[in-house]
Amino acid sequence: MPTLELTNPAALPADWRDFVALTKPRVMSLVVFTGLCGLLVAPVQLPPVLGFTAILCIALAAGACGALNQWYEVEVDGKMQRTAKRPLPAGRMERQSALHFGVGLGGFSVLLMGLAANWLAATLLAVSILFYVIVYTVWLKPRTAQNIVIGGAAGAFPPLIGWVAATGHVATLPLLLFAIIFLWTPPHFWALSLFVRSDYAAAGIPMLPVVAGVQSTRRHILLYSLPMAAAAVAPWVLGLTGPIYGACAALLSFVFLVLAARVATNRATEPSAMDAEKHLFAYSVFYLFALFTVLVADRFLPW
Amino acid sequence: MKVEDEIIRKRQRERARIMAWLLGGFVVLLFFITIAKTGMNW
Repeated sequence: MPTLELTNPAALPADWRDFVALTKPRVMSLVVFTGLCGLLVAPVQLPPVLGFTAILCIALAAGACGALNQWYEVEVDGKMQRTAKRPLPAGRMERQSALHFGVGLGGFSVLLMGLAANWLAATLLAVSILFYVIVYTVWLKPRTAQNIVIGGAAGAFPPLIGWVAATGHVATLPLLLFAIIFLWTPPHFWALSLFVRSDYAAAGIPMLPVVAGVQSTRRHILLYSLPMAAAAVAPWVLGLTGPIYGACAALLSFVFLVLAARVATNRATEPSAMDAEKHLFAYSVFYLFALFTVLVADRFLPW
Repeated sequence: MKVEDEIIRKRQRERARIMAWLLGGFVVLLFFITIAKTGMNW
């Protein structure tokens, strides 16, 4: 392939890999996984092809959210080191292409969900896309330090949608799964925002460490981890899962709380000295994967 | 200019090929969805 540097890369048709990058595949993996778990723990078994299609729709909707988020935040992304190389700020794609791709992908995912599973699941999928794009990206994120607290609801929808795709109705267990991710999101993102806060400050995004300070954010992390841990063990307390899930959820949440307490007592201000925050961030991803894996194992394995 | 044209054509070909695969996959998926739905007596 010729390696000529073009004077105006955006004049080229965008590379298909850049469209894939617009969907934020790494974020999508967690969304797909939690959606799949919601579908698997439901008491109704969908035919495999319909289950696959429901998960595909959740993945496509997550991709649409990523594309529309990047379409709206192109200037902000260009100011942050972490996001400056994305297709739009790097000038590898026309902004309009990202908008068309995001709207098309979102609309397609909702229609396909309605046709393959049911229209309640499709409605929830549409609500989650609109919530992420309009309520979180456009409204809350540039305005308030509580952006991630309320906006976290968008990422909490997948297990609920997975369950509804299988059963056609909402129940207590998927609502608790929604609550777990909703309460998990603030400590997860605040841990990240502590050691990349200069990026957020440069872009003018009012993340909690930028607005309220590092120590206040650390206290908030511990504070929000407590109801998250309670929500994690609630399915067992309410008799909706078995004791194996209860024991694992308690152990995983205990470790989360210990790491959150380490963050709360850390006094470092330089990102290079924020090992506690980095450990919590890495563990929080493992925590959610492990918790939902145990949930599914508890449902299927004959303990 | 010739090299630019070549890059543009290459990108267009790649995108067309990906689109063809995706559309083909969608048709197959719709076929199996229809089979599954009719088998469920909905």
